[in-house]
Amino acid sequence: MDLNQSMRLLSSWIAQIGVLGLDLLWRFIHLVVSLCYIVSGIIEAVESYAISLGLNKKYSSINIEKLRCLAVVVDIEEARDVSKVIELLQWLRTIGVKQVGLFDSQGLLKKSKDLILGTVPGSVLSEEIGEKDSSPDQNPLALEFISSSDNKEAVMKAANILLQDHLKSSRPENDKGENFFTETHLNEALRVVGENVHAPDLLLVYGPIRSHLGFPAWRLRYTEIVHMGSLNYMRYGSLLKAIHKFTGVHQNYGT
Amino acid sequence: MNTQEEVGEFTQIFNALMSLMRKFIFKVLCAGPIPNHVSFIMDGNRRFAKKHNLTGLDAGHRAGFISVTYVLQYCKEIGIPYVTLYAFGVDNFKRQPEEVECVMDLMLEKVEYTINQAVSGNLKGVRVYFVGDLNSLNERLRVAAQRLMEVTEENKDLMVVVCVAYSTSHEIVHAVRESCVRKCDGTGDDPVVLQVSDVEECMYTSVVPDPDLVIRTGGGDRLSNFMTWQTSRSLLHSTATLWPELGLWHLVWAILKFQRMHDYLQKKKKLD
Repeated sequence: MDLNQSMRLLSSWIAQIGVLGLDLLWRFIHLVVSLCYIVSGIIEAVESYAISLGLNKKYSSINIEKLRCLAVVVDIEEARDVSKVIELLQWLRTIGVKQVGLFDSQGLLKKSKDLILGTVPGSVLSEEIGEKDSSPDQNPLALEFISSSDNKEAVMKAANILLQDHLKSSRPENDKGENFFTETHLNEALRVVGENVHAPDLLLVYGPIRSHLGFPAWRLRYTEIVHMGSLNYMRYGSLLKAIHKFTGVHQNYGT
Repeated sequence: MNTQEEVGEFTQIFNALMSLMRKFIFKVLCAGPIPNHVSFIMDGNRRFAKKHNLTGLDAGHRAGFISVTYVLQYCKEIGIPYVTLYAFGVDNFKRQPEEVECVMDLMLEKVEYTINQAVSGNLKGVRVYFVGDLNSLNERLRVAAQRLMEVTEENKDLMVVVCVAYSTSHEIVHAVRESCVRKCDGTGDDPVVLQVSDVEECMYTSVVPDPDLVIRTGGGDRLSNFMTWQTSRSLLHSTATLWPELGLWHLVWAILKFQRMHDYLQKKKKLD
């Protein structure tokens, strides 16, 4: 019995040492991965400064007409620093972007709407474009403020409108609603509840990871999604590079 | 003859060593958190065929299927419970009719092959589920897909969801329609109002949890109308590697990235 117990104890120790060994190896691999990210971050920073200083001729001219609508997703922790968002919008205006959708999941930027519109020169709410006089000399920057309430909740509001209309209509028995609930109908219902259904061409994500963080799903279908890193360390050169890369993309939309 | 036998033995030893090395790598990887659900946007088959001068409309897709078998094997060995494959989108029907027919025939061939594997007991714990507008597929393929789902129903190790004739916009519209029709058919005096849960229950992909990690091959930076509703808290990983060229190290790298960001992703999910 003592021998059996000793063997069991020994196997248990070997197993624990094995698990510890694997854990140490895993941590070591992640250390190497982090070092790779640091090195790549340094290279990107240097490249970005070179682009900002105009040293790379490739980025000296951008076909901005191809970018009709840009969206910016900001992680909620970073959205608290509105000054950085304002600086980003000023950069976008300098580049020539005409329409920007600003998204954060909790609507912090929506709450700071007045401050942003008051601080960024030439910025107007996108729904007000066309209502105000705009002379050819002005290049307004149309801003749209979006949050998670414009995602699933908005689709529910639109779906409930369709449901109520369907209930009120005279429908045949065993009706499966195929003529009533279509993409066109849902688009129209979303417009009725005040949602913008246009898809942005490019989505820039400022935050720790590349994720759309709940940007309205209905609008994201073929949008190019680019991770820009933290808003606190944003760089003009990186922004130019991302927009330039987008203008070179050719999409076949599944065909 | 002897040389051939020697080569055969050497290949077996080499394969066994590679398998051991792979299992060791996965053991190390599993010291950290593993994604519960990984989705793959399998882009790049046609470019692969062009790059390697392969003839035949389905040449790239055949190479893509080989990649599917390896990737699923790796995911099963790592212990990932759910994998989704974006096999064919609604927008892909707009391709040349000959190409669409070729791809459908290839899918039928591979589904029938997989049914034989499942019946012979070679699928080892893999459950296959087809989602999408299956009514838009030809009858033979639809029947074969249904049969494959039935023969693998009891398998529990890895659930593979194959999205065919799928797109997010189609899925949302379908889910809204289904949930509205159910509400209309419901009885009782309660006000008829749709909730998010009513619609999500009717989504094609309601059989799996939301993805933790989405891997897109082929260099594209977009989701191409794939699971945009379900990926609010997913890490989106893109690689320039074409799908048929996706290998072990690409998958390992994507999972390492996921592990680096796991705490942040968990925090975001808790906020929800």
